[in-house]
Amino acid sequence: MAGTFAEIVAAARNRAARKRLVVSSVRKPDMEIISRAAREGLIVPLLVGDADALAKKCALASYEYEIVHVKDRDEALRAAIAMVREGRADMLMQGSRDPKTFMNAVLDAKTGLLKGKLASHVSVFKLLKGDKLILVTDTFVNNFPGISEKQLILEHAIKLAGILGIEAPKVAALAAIEQVNPSIPSTLDAAVLSKMAERKQFGNAIVEGPVDIDCALSHIAAERKGLKSVVTGNVDIYLVPEIESGYLLAQSLVFLGKMEMAGVLMGMTKPVILNLPFVSRENRLVEIALASLI
Amino acid sequence: MIRSLDDVSRIAGEKGPKKLAVLAPEDEEFMLAVKTSWEAGYIEPVLIGNAEKMEKLGEKVGFDISRFEKIIESDRQRISDLGIGMLFSGKLSIVSKGQIPTAYVYRSIIRAEGKAASGMTVSVVSFWEIPGLSHLTAFTDTGVSILPDYKTKRDILKNAVFLYHLLGYEKPKIVAISGQRKFGRTLDSYRDYRLLRKAADVGEFGDCEIIHATSLTEIFLGPSGRLRDYRDIDLEKIPHIILVPRLDTGNIMCKLDFFLDVTRFSIVATSKGAVCIPSRADFSDDIIMELAMGVVVADRLEKELR
Repeated sequence: MAGTFAEIVAAARNRAARKRLVVSSVRKPDMEIISRAAREGLIVPLLVGDADALAKKCALASYEYEIVHVKDRDEALRAAIAMVREGRADMLMQGSRDPKTFMNAVLDAKTGLLKGKLASHVSVFKLLKGDKLILVTDTFVNNFPGISEKQLILEHAIKLAGILGIEAPKVAALAAIEQVNPSIPSTLDAAVLSKMAERKQFGNAIVEGPVDIDCALSHIAAERKGLKSVVTGNVDIYLVPEIESGYLLAQSLVFLGKMEMAGVLMGMTKPVILNLPFVSRENRLVEIALASLI
Repeated sequence: MIRSLDDVSRIAGEKGPKKLAVLAPEDEEFMLAVKTSWEAGYIEPVLIGNAEKMEKLGEKVGFDISRFEKIIESDRQRISDLGIGMLFSGKLSIVSKGQIPTAYVYRSIIRAEGKAASGMTVSVVSFWEIPGLSHLTAFTDTGVSILPDYKTKRDILKNAVFLYHLLGYEKPKIVAISGQRKFGRTLDSYRDYRLLRKAADVGEFGDCEIIHATSLTEIFLGPSGRLRDYRDIDLEKIPHIILVPRLDTGNIMCKLDFFLDVTRFSIVATSKGAVCIPSRADFSDDIIMELAMGVVVADRLEKELR
């Protein structure tokens, strides 16, 4: 089971075959990360764009790479997505492409990479104390998911947890309070998900909900509120109620908690790596490693 | 200006003791906090709750409660109504929630404000002391409004700015936080941010500034920055007031003190005095700080109301 980011990178490095990572828009910081990942044996970069410009960027490359010449930026993105769809690439990276164009392209129902009904973003954090990774989701894609969307979002996170070696993840379905209150929709959704888990609809995952964040984080706090659960104080997956909470929770852990974060877009036919500004340069390499394990 | 918990403790010691009703101190941590706060000279408690439980806990923490006024009541809503009623009738300066669900207390305050025709929207301000920072940071509303609309957010913000002014901050900085990303539809919270900025610009909230940012990324990295090194994060950039878009977000963010090296304390500034809102999961050290903050706010509110 991976408990640190170094272990994720090591696991990716130990894979027999390197993954083919395609990207259609790269600036210097992207190229530095891609080069490093290639040098470390994680990937073979497939660079789609203006061949002359890309060749200059790769002039000193000491690793295997491929350039596909497509001059127009939008065409290049479409070509990169097509390469993933056709199996010529194993993962897609946003690189320097603007989020709106990139997300619209990958989420396009006909020409994108969506596997099922929705995509969701899982942020993986390394706890400051001890060797443990936690997952927070959805931290980027869905604004106000209903219960059926939350079911899929949770399934995506459970899948990633499994890849990281967490066989029976403990899930906190977060809400403002730990009691079911019909006036607070998040508490109802969390209660339903918890009941679904009881009926084994999420496999071995143990889902507790609704749980407020203090109960999720502290077993003692939960007990003082009368909540006894194996999940409290030992959560693997934090399922947030909506994007305002998810996007801000991820940033809070990074900026206020100074916790290392790496994320990946789930629910796609092949892994997709976004370019979020609050993921440090170092952790962008972890994101590539994480994607290569999926 | 009150910048830290040290300031809060010092002023509470100077201005106390203030008469404070504790709603159901029926938990060891709460009773211990009441004891310590009384010993520190912050408060003179009025204990409202179950007689047997309060006696037992008093004994357990070595606190002789026989000398204090006690109101024996077991019904949770009655306990809350009694305490808030005493606050609004001027019999005491502060109320603190004990081991009862917060909803009862909010219900009592809302009813009392309605009866007093104050026109005040009830909202909770949860302060953070982040070690090393030169100011307190607060999240609001972290307790009452589940999904506030623009008008309610305006009132919530007025309450928070009023509280910061009371604490000596002449021009608090505010971030109206939102889950808006650079893709997808425009969220209501982002629309509200734009409206609130306009309202602030024409002085609707008094002296304050709503900063041009809606996320922590924009606060710490600017509009198009990127995190290079964690050591570059300057926590001093965090504004005084963080207006949250909804209750879920506020609660999740403000209670991250369980994860982080910060201390949290929550206050409702009503039209008649301060109400401390410790969480039922808080420990005595945190509750003591809440009570001390209650004393400070009550003292300044009394001067303001005079």
